[in-house]
Amino acid sequence: MPPELVIEAKDLGYSYAPGRFAIRHLDLALQRGEVLGLLGRNGAGKTTTVRVLTTLLPPTEGTATVLGQDVRTAGPTLRGQVGVVLQTEAFDFVSVERNLTLYAFMWGVPREAAKSRAEEMIELFELEKFRHRKPWSLSGGERRRLQVARELMHDMQVLFLDEPTAGLDAIARRRILGYIRKRAREGLSVVFTTHIMHEADLLCDRIAILHEGRLFATESPREFKRRFGGARMVTIEFDQPLHSKRAALERLLGEDGVEAKETAWDEQGVSFTSKRPEAEVARVSAWATQAGVDISRIDVREATLEEAFLGAIGFPSAFADEISEGE
Amino acid sequence: MRLPGLLRLIVRNFASNVDPAAMMIRFGQPAFLVVILGTMFSGLVSPSATSSGSYMAFLVPGAIAFQMVAGGVIAGNLFWLDRRWSMVEQIFVGPFRRAEYLASLILTALVFSLVGVGIMVVVALPFIGLPSLTLPELGVVLATIALGGIFFSTFLIGLGTQLRSANTYFTIQSFVQLFVVFLSTVYYPITDKTPKVLVDVLYCNPLTYAATAVRDAFEGQVGAPVYAALGILSGLCLLTFVLATWGFRTMEPGAVQ
Repeated sequence: MPPELVIEAKDLGYSYAPGRFAIRHLDLALQRGEVLGLLGRNGAGKTTTVRVLTTLLPPTEGTATVLGQDVRTAGPTLRGQVGVVLQTEAFDFVSVERNLTLYAFMWGVPREAAKSRAEEMIELFELEKFRHRKPWSLSGGERRRLQVARELMHDMQVLFLDEPTAGLDAIARRRILGYIRKRAREGLSVVFTTHIMHEADLLCDRIAILHEGRLFATESPREFKRRFGGARMVTIEFDQPLHSKRAALERLLGEDGVEAKETAWDEQGVSFTSKRPEAEVARVSAWATQAGVDISRIDVREATLEEAFLGAIGFPSAFADEISEGE
Repeated sequence: MRLPGLLRLIVRNFASNVDPAAMMIRFGQPAFLVVILGTMFSGLVSPSATSSGSYMAFLVPGAIAFQMVAGGVIAGNLFWLDRRWSMVEQIFVGPFRRAEYLASLILTALVFSLVGVGIMVVVALPFIGLPSLTLPELGVVLATIALGGIFFSTFLIGLGTQLRSANTYFTIQSFVQLFVVFLSTVYYPITDKTPKVLVDVLYCNPLTYAATAVRDAFEGQVGAPVYAALGILSGLCLLTFVLATWGFRTMEPGAVQ
């Protein structure tokens, strides 16, 4: 049986003014229970995509359906099955607890269910201390927690999260991501935008890279890193100092056909970058056996999603080096 | 059983945005004005200058008509604060139609207007007693308040859809409120000595028609002028309602300053 598509966009576009497209030619698909990360620079079109898919903005080109309904004509029936955490803060002028129960009331959640769900959210998002306070007296991160908690007060099939973890501390971020992952396993489909690549790597089944309004790539974070991650860092340590044997290994790594760059040495090891680390590790292993040296540790570091992202959008590597040196 | 979306939004409007202190001031101020103005001006305004026989009897129906402005301002502010705090956007992505949200604001305004009318009647009791209105006269009063409430709430909501700055919105709202109240016949009658230009300006003001209709109903004189006033109010109402609906359909619901 083919996977059930909950979102399908074909050649989707939206222009704020004639000829000024915020997004264009977008083809997207989201399956039930899948978490899709929308990544891109500021102004890449992530929020516009969310606003079009949540019926706030009508597409100016192409088509999009959510739960089988055209977003151009969809009404309360569709929106009643979709949750949206906006990028901007949205609250009612009541206490934290009342914000949760009032929002549930707006969604038609029965009173008893709303009360117990509010308690669950207050505990999950650590809002107990602020239960009776008004949202504007909370810190930015606390307000963000409340906003995400509030959206989870009602049942839904699709959840759109527009930078839900902006301004949150590491523990709060982990809690939210963990909860979303759990709900996704239970069948919730999630569209998630973020600038924190590590989060997307942890949470998303697939990522869609938007660049200047166009879809650049849609694949799993692993595939994306493999495709755009570039060279990986290899570190090999030996069980004894190399001394005179180092010259032979240097010659080996400098031979034609060996892809080892940015080589750095220390007394008992070497590190280098390579686009084919498996081949170079095999070559060094063979050399070590022949030279009578044991290898005590091999570490091949995966490219991070951020490195792959920067590589994919053509971030100049010279500038990246400056950043590294600065750090 | 789940309440319809419109009712859920009305309940939410009350629960979310009704600040008791602000409400006391909003309703207390006109009541205060009725008592102070009524008492002080009664000694200055000749009974013959008003058709009601006493200034207090003249003022109370005007203050009742003014409640439609108070209700309209509440709806306009509710909408603006919802815009300012992104709740408009949040409601638009929720299980509601935009028309339901607009209707919920208007109905909230009407409830506030009616509460205000009730307060005015109670405040005026010691001065003019309980108004003895026939059913048609009561109908005229309620219809006037309803039409006026819809006019002012849709006018301010329509304005709110087109602006992106709280400063601009509240400046215009304060100016309009001042203009509407003081260039109307709520506090003073049109007499032979009123300059012609001012009379023309007064008749450009919907509150003048509303005050006239309520006053005539209180005096038991429901006739052609009252129906004409209601007709004019209905026309204005339709115009601002269409403008507010258009504003709702075309507005960019994102956050404002």
